[in-house]
Amino acid sequence: MNEPIETDAGPVDQTSFVDVIETILGRPELDEELAIRLRSVTEYLRQPDDTSRPFLSVLLRTQGKRIEPLKDAMLCLAAQTLQDFELIVLEHNALPVDVAGVREVIERQPPAFRSRIKHLVVEGGTRAKPLNEGIGAAEGHYIAVYDDDDLVFANWVEEFRDAAIRGDGRLLRSTVATQSITPEIWPDRSEGFRTGSWPAAEYPVEFHQLEHLLVNYSPFMSWAFPRSLFFTFGLRFDEVLEVCEDWDMILRGSLLCGVEEIESLTAIYRRWEGGSSSYTIHSIDAWQKSEKRVLDRIDSTTLTLPPGSVERIRELVGFHERMKHFEPIFRGPYLWFPLRVTMKFAGPAAHLAVRVRNRIRRLLVRAR
Amino acid sequence: MAEARRLVVQSVLYANSTEDIVRAGLAVINSVSWARDAGLISSWVLRLGDCSPEPVFTEESISPLRAAVEESGGEISYTVFGANLGSAAGQNRLAAAGDEELMLILNPDTQVAPDTLSVLARAVREDIGIAEARQVPLEHPKYFEPQTGNTSWASTACALTTREAFDSVSGFDSATFFLYCDDLDYSWRLRLAGYRVVYEPSARVFHDKRLTITGDWPAGAAEIYYSAESAILLAFKYSRNDLVDSLVKAFTKEGSEPGLRAVAEYERRKASGALPTQLDGDHRVAQFINGNYAVHRY
Repeated sequence: MNEPIETDAGPVDQTSFVDVIETILGRPELDEELAIRLRSVTEYLRQPDDTSRPFLSVLLRTQGKRIEPLKDAMLCLAAQTLQDFELIVLEHNALPVDVAGVREVIERQPPAFRSRIKHLVVEGGTRAKPLNEGIGAAEGHYIAVYDDDDLVFANWVEEFRDAAIRGDGRLLRSTVATQSITPEIWPDRSEGFRTGSWPAAEYPVEFHQLEHLLVNYSPFMSWAFPRSLFFTFGLRFDEVLEVCEDWDMILRGSLLCGVEEIESLTAIYRRWEGGSSSYTIHSIDAWQKSEKRVLDRIDSTTLTLPPGSVERIRELVGFHERMKHFEPIFRGPYLWFPLRVTMKFAGPAAHLAVRVRNRIRRLLVRAR
Repeated sequence: MAEARRLVVQSVLYANSTEDIVRAGLAVINSVSWARDAGLISSWVLRLGDCSPEPVFTEESISPLRAAVEESGGEISYTVFGANLGSAAGQNRLAAAGDEELMLILNPDTQVAPDTLSVLARAVREDIGIAEARQVPLEHPKYFEPQTGNTSWASTACALTTREAFDSVSGFDSATFFLYCDDLDYSWRLRLAGYRVVYEPSARVFHDKRLTITGDWPAGAAEIYYSAESAILLAFKYSRNDLVDSLVKAFTKEGSEPGLRAVAEYERRKASGALPTQLDGDHRVAQFINGNYAVHRY
């Protein structure tokens, strides 16, 4: 039995509160957006006791085509220092043979881990569809998304849990490195890959809300989203988006709930070179359309920005004001192109010049 | 189908948490079970040697792991060495306690995947002396041949070797190497003895290593010192006196405490005649490339 809700007017029994909402929901003239929010509230109130939940639900998307990277991803989860999580494997648009392959990988996991894995097969829709199915099945206080070809360090879940203690209800963000891999057949003939670079910490350590409006520099597994984002505020991944579904949720979620930062590198985002990825499968047109949809939606709503944003906006507007005399250079077709070319070659040319200078100096020293 | 072989999984402990060791053990049990189902392993034993100042386990705290191993049809032994022997001497002591045909050398801060034992057991055949599992999330950058898996050396964070190969080179050189490069030296002596050393990327092991927030490797004091000491001793053992001289000069010039200590230790061994016998005089096997011991991919 859930505890009564404390209000200014005294405790209110949750069952009766749900009844009130249900009555409101029954009104035909009810605003559709409000109805969505109210349904989320009733869903939330009907949830089982929170103490039985795992801390984290990990949504792992796969198409079952990359079994070897999937095995890596699963091993990283099995080796987490904090095992207070469930794993929901979301197999999207997979062939029966690939479904069987994923099922076998799951069945081979150690029993204590295997018992916390759900396997959902999802047909149709965009990349957002399996995520929404996963959210529907998720029991965790927080929800994180992890693709089948990425890696996490042993402290990934633990760092999220520690951050949730500090900033419960906010989105949690850690730092992620990138690493290149290329497809390769391994000695035992399995379809593997070759790692081609040391993990590079190329994304900003700090999260800046305004800069994130320009581009997403926080890969999916940097984040853990609070359950309330989906079950109280009623957000879902946008299934119209072909790509950028992560950026969309990060922007909407961070603007709504705020962000708790984690000063730790907790994962590796693997970039395929020569294989297929979201960058190669989807057209430039699809990327542009998705990006526009994400930004249009954000731009059509009232935003609450985090502390420090006013100063940052003033800086940006002030800079823009000072640069406006140069605007024709950047906007016009004739000056911008040569300027861009010059900028592109300026760095390497300067580097070459320094090397030549140093070589001449060394030769002169030797000659003396 | 190949005949099933007896297996020992051996780990040297040093002040690890019991929780980590138990989790590593449970992953091993799972992986061995699949290898036994595939007919690759017959009987098996988990052999733990404890070098910690205070024993990691009591009879009571090890009992859940003991029960799990025994339930899976394996045996377990836990020996307190009472001194920090180092990894090389610790592994030799554990190896001497049995006669199993296959030996998995495993770090206690690791977790093997379900099919790791099966892949490695299939790989270690004929002329292959040792097969290394691929570490995640931080993979070692050394080069390996895509078709054969041939590589310069095998890290014993997780590697399967045969008893025959181990005995043929008298195991690890514990007189020379305490903590680092013992696996490198073992691999190179296997290659000098005619064995192949292979990297098996489809055998994976999680090794709990992390990076700083800027993506750098956070080397500890022991790693810095023993890497320096081993670098000089390895260069000497593999007949690269030129490299010994340049390392000694570089460490002396650099003037850091670990570097100077490493040089002093080398000089001490030299003066007392405790340096190892030199090998690979024609430089067939050992590779010293830009401070690495193999061609690196990155």
